[in-house]
Amino acid sequence: MFFEFLRLAGQSIAHRRLRSWLTVIGVFIGIAAVVGLISLGLGFEKTVNDQVSGIFGVDTFIVVNEGSFAGGPPQHGGSGDEYALDLELLNSIEGVKVAAALRERTGFVQGQPDADGEQLQGFLPVLGLSPELLTEFESFTGELKVMSGGRLFEPGDVEVAVLDLEISQRLGVEVGDTILVAGDGSNELTLTIIGIMAPQDTEEDDSGGGFGAQFGSNSEGDTISVPYGTMDLLWGQADDVLVTLVRTEPGYDVDEVADRAEEALNEQGSEIMTITYGDISEQIGQFTNIANAILAGIAGISLVVGAVGVMNTMFTSVLERTKEIGVMKAVGAKNSHVLSIFLIESGLMGLVGGIVGSAAGIGLAVVFTKIINSGGVFMGGVNMAIVISPWLLAYTLLGSFALGALAGFFPALRASKLPVVDALRYE
Amino acid sequence: MALLEMQGITKEYKLGKTIVRALRGLDLTIAAGKVVAIMGPSGSGKSTLMHILGALDTPTGGTAKIDGSDLESLKERQLVALRGQKIGFVFQTFNLIQTLSAQRNVELPMIFQGISAGERHQRASALLEKVGLGDRVRHRPNELSGGERQRVAIARALANDPEIILADEPTGNLDTETGNAILALLKGLSVKDGKTLILVTHDPEAAIIADRVVRLRDGCVESESAGGEV
Repeated sequence: MFFEFLRLAGQSIAHRRLRSWLTVIGVFIGIAAVVGLISLGLGFEKTVNDQVSGIFGVDTFIVVNEGSFAGGPPQHGGSGDEYALDLELLNSIEGVKVAAALRERTGFVQGQPDADGEQLQGFLPVLGLSPELLTEFESFTGELKVMSGGRLFEPGDVEVAVLDLEISQRLGVEVGDTILVAGDGSNELTLTIIGIMAPQDTEEDDSGGGFGAQFGSNSEGDTISVPYGTMDLLWGQADDVLVTLVRTEPGYDVDEVADRAEEALNEQGSEIMTITYGDISEQIGQFTNIANAILAGIAGISLVVGAVGVMNTMFTSVLERTKEIGVMKAVGAKNSHVLSIFLIESGLMGLVGGIVGSAAGIGLAVVFTKIINSGGVFMGGVNMAIVISPWLLAYTLLGSFALGALAGFFPALRASKLPVVDALRYE
Repeated sequence: MALLEMQGITKEYKLGKTIVRALRGLDLTIAAGKVVAIMGPSGSGKSTLMHILGALDTPTGGTAKIDGSDLESLKERQLVALRGQKIGFVFQTFNLIQTLSAQRNVELPMIFQGISAGERHQRASALLEKVGLGDRVRHRPNELSGGERQRVAIARALANDPEIILADEPTGNLDTETGNAILALLKGLSVKDGKTLILVTHDPEAAIIADRVVRLRDGCVESESAGGEV
């Protein structure tokens, strides 16, 4: 019988074609907005997640200062983002395959005498990085390039340095020359320059480059990069570690290892916290959920407007068809039959609005994504993903039918309760 | 036993603030298989009586029995079943569903009885054939003439093979010739199929085909006569 009622309702809708379409448009706009906005949100979430997981991998965590990720106030004075670290201890923790760190401070540096015998010297940023950063964590650092004739750090390097192009020119040094770097107290080392950073192709800095910039070295800067261990020789352990990357052994749970590392290091007096891919993913999820809820709320308003439109159309329809309802009842229709026919009719209008609206919403999301991607404005030129969620579509279609039926409920109830004699008399 | 038994029927309803007494203690008994014309001036209570005879409405007082069932004791859904199975209506203004074809209009009462699509289709086709519209099944009401529409309405009234056909001014919107053809068709239902036919009408022609003519005035039976004459 449902199928018959569906047919009756469909014929009635088709008969009032223009008004039905106008009603459907009311629903359609709301649904298109909901589907479009949520699809964009899902695309954004997927893109960010993919980017982060591409860099991070599931077996890696990072160690940062306690206050720097959770949004709390910095624990120390100054910028507060640095911390002290016992890298050897970290490397010895069960489940840690390799840990690599980055630290930075300002040191006194002396270059080679120039043609006039003048020797440039001064305080410059000195960056200490574990050679493993370059070999094991390339996804974080991006591809660093040195000019021909030079090389980057290798495990075992100690008294060596890699210079940014600009500072190498100012210091008047080339690969093979030496510079002097002074540390704490009487600590000082003569470092052999093994490489000079190559100028970057700034125009087309491909994916991952954004993170590479964080690691300090570039051709225009004035940074002196040295192996991490060399920093220890110059300054010992100090509150100057920016970030540490840790890869776990296969078979170990990354969250467990991270917890162990956090505990062990904090016992040593470091004030650090660890962040795994799961933590970041959760944060992204929370953010996008809130954003989606707000967007869906806004779009929901237009759905309410659409529902009111359906209700209005159905009330009009009931009034117009009062006599028809009387006839149906006279020929044996129960109240529930009349109720069903009108509910199906309004539900159908909702459903058609849902189908057309979903298609338009996906279209909108695709177009917007293309515009965003062609503009290259998203995350340093990363292409945003297009996500078409079958769940979203299923819920939307179900919801739009329910919305229509709900909006049509009171009109349908009124229709079903009409006394048959009055309905037949209605002109 | 009488098919329709009305005893001391009163019906009052409110029209604004005034109470209208449409029927005032009406007695009427109709035997199965007869053709009865109910006539009377406007306001005599014809329509109200027809509503009660058709189980569309219940009386305020008195006893109304249709095929032995007292309307007062029936629940709403039993009234619906009674209308759907035992009574077929024919209206002055045809009251066909404009969005449906002739075929679908005739099928409509069967849909509400839950009859299968195949049987419905077959019966509707046969009924349209019977009323002389075998070639018009796919037409919508607005593509049919008045006489043709009334034929569709008669086919619809017959859909669930009811015992009683209630026709409210069936010729009121038709010219004399077409009206007479419709009356002949209705008469045939009684003569050939044994249906009980009740005509509520102003049309003196209708009285000619009736076995009995009942005249109402002021909510009561004023007079009765045998049919076949004016």
